[in-house]
Amino acid sequence: MKYFLLLAVLLSASSLVASDTTIDNPKASPKTKNITVVCPEHDCPAVKCPQEKKKPEPVLSVNSNVRISVVGQGVAPMNTSSPAQAYALAKRAATADAYRLVAEKVKGVRIDGQDLIKNMMVKRSTIRTSVAAMVRNATIVETTFKDGLCEVEMEIVLSHSDFAR
Amino acid sequence: MRSRDGNRTFSLRLCSIIFFYSLALNAGEYLISYRYVVKDAILYNDLLLVSHAMQSCHGKPQKPLILETNDTNNLKQIISKNPDEFMQYIHKLGLDVKSTQITSNLQTTSTTILTLKTTCFKVDFNDNFAKITPIK
Repeated sequence: MKYFLLLAVLLSASSLVASDTTIDNPKASPKTKNITVVCPEHDCPAVKCPQEKKKPEPVLSVNSNVRISVVGQGVAPMNTSSPAQAYALAKRAATADAYRLVAEKVKGVRIDGQDLIKNMMVKRSTIRTSVAAMVRNATIVETTFKDGLCEVEMEIVLSHSDFAR
Repeated sequence: MRSRDGNRTFSLRLCSIIFFYSLALNAGEYLISYRYVVKDAILYNDLLLVSHAMQSCHGKPQKPLILETNDTNNLKQIISKNPDEFMQYIHKLGLDVKSTQITSNLQTTSTTILTLKTTCFKVDFNDNFAKITPIK
């Protein structure tokens, strides 16, 4: 009987502690979660914006170089006369893909979107991305060819003097 | 007073003049442009255009490329027989990239065009090699 009473007291005490913690948590959560700080520039200097820790992007400063590396992919056509021809054609396609990736990284991509809606239904949805650039001094670091897929690793080193006028 | 070796210096000079003149006669200026199209990661088309320059080119000669001639003086054939070297070389000269990717109703097609803009090259044909020097 004594043990039963002791067990009942322990259970009630533990349930109380548990209920306290469940009550505490909803109080604490809105404070931390629901606050959103909107910081227009120079308007609220006293409030510190919560900043996410991001990996700093490389900046092209004077007397420094930025190395950009991409991997382009290309496929051999079906009607090739020999594996060597397949390799050569796939490599050229992969090189073009690598060039495109370099241009996209250095210069950026233009994106145009168009949705055609007819009778309250989407008939056609089109996204068009394009890039045009001049790439010089790109070097092929490594080429791999496996299962008909050719991968070309390409590097380009950008220096400040390339852009300074 | 006549030197001990006779007119050897004179003959050497004469030979060297003839040699360099023959080199100059074999040299020529060519306009080369190259373009290739890749559609959906597959090489679709490539186009190499070579022609003699109608006017002399002005500019500074850049780093040359040396290709094996294989007993021909046709520049287009020489380049076609050494595509890897030529491609690697024009990468350093610089290529124009134009790429378009269209996604329509969740189906994507892409087209990439790489172009070597028409560039003047000075080409020296030797016995077994052709020295191709871009002039910019």
